[in-house]
Amino acid sequence: MKRSTLYPILIALFLCAALPLILSGKTGGPAPEFTATASNGKTVRLADYRGKYVVLEWHNNGCPYVGKHYKSGNMQKLQKQWTGRGVVWLTILSSAPGEQGYMTANEENDYLAKVQAAPTAALLDPTGQIGHLYDAKTSPQMVVINPQGVVIYDGAIDDKPTTDLEDVPGATNYVNLALEQALAGKQVETPTTRPYGCSVKYADSAH
Amino acid sequence: MRSCCSSTKFLWNLWLGVALLLCAASVQAAGTPIPHGTLELIAENQSIAAGHELYLGLHFQLEKGWHIYWVNPGDSGEPPRIKWQLPPAITVGEIEWPTPRRLGTPSIVDFGYEDEVTLIVPIHAQASLASQQSAQIGAEVKVLVCREICIPGKAQLSLTLPVESRMAAPDARNSSLFAAARKSLPRPAPRSWKLSVADAGNSLVLTANLGHQVSQAVFFPLAESQIDNAAPQKLLPASAGFRLALRKSDQLRKPIARLKGVLVLSAAQAYIIDVPLGSPGATENTGAEIYAAQFLDEVPLR
Repeated sequence: MKRSTLYPILIALFLCAALPLILSGKTGGPAPEFTATASNGKTVRLADYRGKYVVLEWHNNGCPYVGKHYKSGNMQKLQKQWTGRGVVWLTILSSAPGEQGYMTANEENDYLAKVQAAPTAALLDPTGQIGHLYDAKTSPQMVVINPQGVVIYDGAIDDKPTTDLEDVPGATNYVNLALEQALAGKQVETPTTRPYGCSVKYADSAH
Repeated sequence: MRSCCSSTKFLWNLWLGVALLLCAASVQAAGTPIPHGTLELIAENQSIAAGHELYLGLHFQLEKGWHIYWVNPGDSGEPPRIKWQLPPAITVGEIEWPTPRRLGTPSIVDFGYEDEVTLIVPIHAQASLASQQSAQIGAEVKVLVCREICIPGKAQLSLTLPVESRMAAPDARNSSLFAAARKSLPRPAPRSWKLSVADAGNSLVLTANLGHQVSQAVFFPLAESQIDNAAPQKLLPASAGFRLALRKSDQLRKPIARLKGVLVLSAAQAYIIDVPLGSPGATENTGAEIYAAQFLDEVPLR
């Protein structure tokens, strides 16, 4: 193969390789747009929140790692704290019907009331479309999007990948760090971590 | 009369005691319950001697379909965590992890063990143990057991080993479990192998010259967040080895210094590899890049 024909192919290959990164909502890249139905019946478009910080929280109420953050009240505290400061908090349920964590709108509304959760909205994603768009692997995986629509954090909620409630108080919370640093006009020091937890129960989950 | 009855009663009590002991022993053998399985702490030898090393084992038996995790759990889950409770004269080494399996779904891949696994760990008795009659060994194990769903479990295990002046022969009851555990450990890579790793942009390419052909190779990374666990590992067999393209993890922000992990060539051939990231010649590097791009993105080059 001649060099002159090889270069365009190499460039094409590079673009092919880079395209999935650009499209899949990786840290530093644009947050993929989505439209979803919330448990309160409203239609939520990510684009409507341009100009605000947005937190995405992958949720499965049967997952013990998620349970750690709800039973300790940590997640509710974060939701109240950040929505109180104008941040949009979207809880996302990507479990397929029949899988752990799948909820109908009514079930989710009852759950939110029972645990006194305070997200801006809980989005029902039974097809896993939003989950796959962000390549969400676990619950509770967390994503932070800045007002320009760029992903500034993607990963674990904190640095203690366990199910122990006693690990919550001493943990370094990466969502807090990312939002605090971004709001202070600083670079986010830890823009990505391994998202610990239960696997997201997509329709392709093994049985 | 009285002496007759009391001796009958004594015998009866003795038999009751023996029966209870047997009962306790059978419960012990069945292991401590954990979610969807049992866990037992076993020792390779029946006693321990000062100045010697002895292997302990954590034998997990799981119901069909349930799994626990390797030291690097992959995309989700977590490895078992052990808090040892040991006499001051005993020190514990690192768990020797058997070769894991790929578990999970096309989009989320975990590394772990199904059915049955024994994690072995060496302990060392210092000279001061000689003054003791026995050594009480305790282990608090936290373990996540998963199928489609995950259940955290906790077990408190204990074992009492008599202290003797010489090491006892291996305990026959446990020898098959220890033999199976050792057989399932990855071995050090042969010295004759020539391994190199090249950074090829979106992927790391492991080039292996083994002196023979292989038809399959799967790499299990020891460190989290180095490679994309779910991405297919593309193998290009060569006359004396292979090239294996491993897509980098999205969480990998800095160049890696070494690629460490377990390379599995077949069910009976698993090797520990630890390869520094090389700076191979320009030709080889370009080759690796083209190869990686070609195989990872399914774009035909010719």
